[in-house]
Amino acid sequence: MLGSVGGFTVKMAASSSAGRALTLCKQFQNVLRISTAVNAQHCAANVTRYQNHVYRGTSPLIAPSWCSSPLSSAGQCRALHTTVSVRGLEEFFDLPENWGESRVKSGAPWTAKHLRTKSNEDLHKLWYVLLKEKNMLLTLEQEARRQRVQMPSPERLRKVERSIIRLETVVTERETALRLLQTGQEKARPGDWRRNIFGHVFWYRFKEYACPWYMNKRYKRKRFYTPNFVQPHLRLRIEKYLRERAKKANLEKKTQAKLREKFPQMKISSS
Amino acid sequence: MRLTTLLAIAARVVVPKDYRYGTNRPRKVFVEPLASHEWSVLRGDTVEILAGKDKGKQGKVIQVFRHRNWVILEGLNTHHRYIGATGDYRGTYIATEAPLLLRDITLIDPTDRKPTEVEWKFTEEGERVRVSVRTGRILPKPVVERRDGIVPEQWKDGPKDTSPEDTLDKTYVPSLKTLEEEVMEKMGIEEPRRHKKSYWY
Repeated sequence: MLGSVGGFTVKMAASSSAGRALTLCKQFQNVLRISTAVNAQHCAANVTRYQNHVYRGTSPLIAPSWCSSPLSSAGQCRALHTTVSVRGLEEFFDLPENWGESRVKSGAPWTAKHLRTKSNEDLHKLWYVLLKEKNMLLTLEQEARRQRVQMPSPERLRKVERSIIRLETVVTERETALRLLQTGQEKARPGDWRRNIFGHVFWYRFKEYACPWYMNKRYKRKRFYTPNFVQPHLRLRIEKYLRERAKKANLEKKTQAKLREKFPQMKISSS
Repeated sequence: MRLTTLLAIAARVVVPKDYRYGTNRPRKVFVEPLASHEWSVLRGDTVEILAGKDKGKQGKVIQVFRHRNWVILEGLNTHHRYIGATGDYRGTYIATEAPLLLRDITLIDPTDRKPTEVEWKFTEEGERVRVSVRTGRILPKPVVERRDGIVPEQWKDGPKDTSPEDTLDKTYVPSLKTLEEEVMEKMGIEEPRRHKKSYWY
């Protein structure tokens, strides 16, 4: 979607202007310095940050490292978190009654079947709950390593990781279904079949860039064709592959014959 | 030297000359092929031995090696060996079970405690069970303790566990919105910014 950049891009203010305007000149991908005094008036509508090139939820936010405080460039003024539990840094640690225990009881991980019955909002909340739990367990693991003792109940970490993976699967499933319905595209990320210099045809996944390919020096150095001197090797490679396949089939036949000889009463062999 | 050769040398297990192999001796063996869905002996089953030193005895299955059609019974088909020998001390003399092939084992009908052949059949509910050919009784699946010692019937939820009602609560309403759109609606987030043109290649 073409962004008609209306009221958002602000011309680069000279350093004299009060520290609110963060601009990014899209063309040159250069970030201008953040003015020192970033005061509390972040919510001014003039503030922009690096435009999010979002393609249906795939490319991660190209987070500029220079962007210091999380509130500085948010276009909206909101509280940092909306959770019920606001224990702050204590969330990195377990409940106090579990401190010093050698084994902590934990239940079964979430299954994909159960996660599919939950609404998107619930999944969103659960994701952050799981993330915080994972952070807590990782902190615990690192501390145990530092103190050279065993981490109590390491299977909790594996359970949380599995739950997170399953949640991700469920969300991608829903997204794929919607995308197939609305656009007919199977893949979220665009790509193409390309040939590399070794003669292999592979699925090349596209990356997101700010400038077109004919202006991208690094991209132009990539070669998506097979040079002529590689041509003879392709045939040799095919021959090698066929030879290996024939040898495997032969070996398979020989083992089957040997098995039939050793175990005459066996049924039709499997595998 | 080739890289593959170097890696192969590094991966080869170096073993002292008088090392006593257990059930994991690396050798090529021919195993009678049995389809994995036809496997009838499960851990915890009671089986009877048909051949060997302890012929005719019944025992519980402790361990199953599917790749070699082996079954280890508790306390049967044992031999003795020394374990933990150091220096002058010759070690403790203990009994160890040797594995038995599937050919030398039969399952036992739980009702009359006699050996029988077993087939896999479906019940009326659609459950796949083992049925004894001779009597027609169903062999129940043996109850084995979980490795973490949890008994599902006696489980009590902890403070961080979700209760069964909450887990089974169905809150999903299918809609034509992505997760991001739905969540933004619910949280009242408005995204007035628009994408700039980007190039994918």
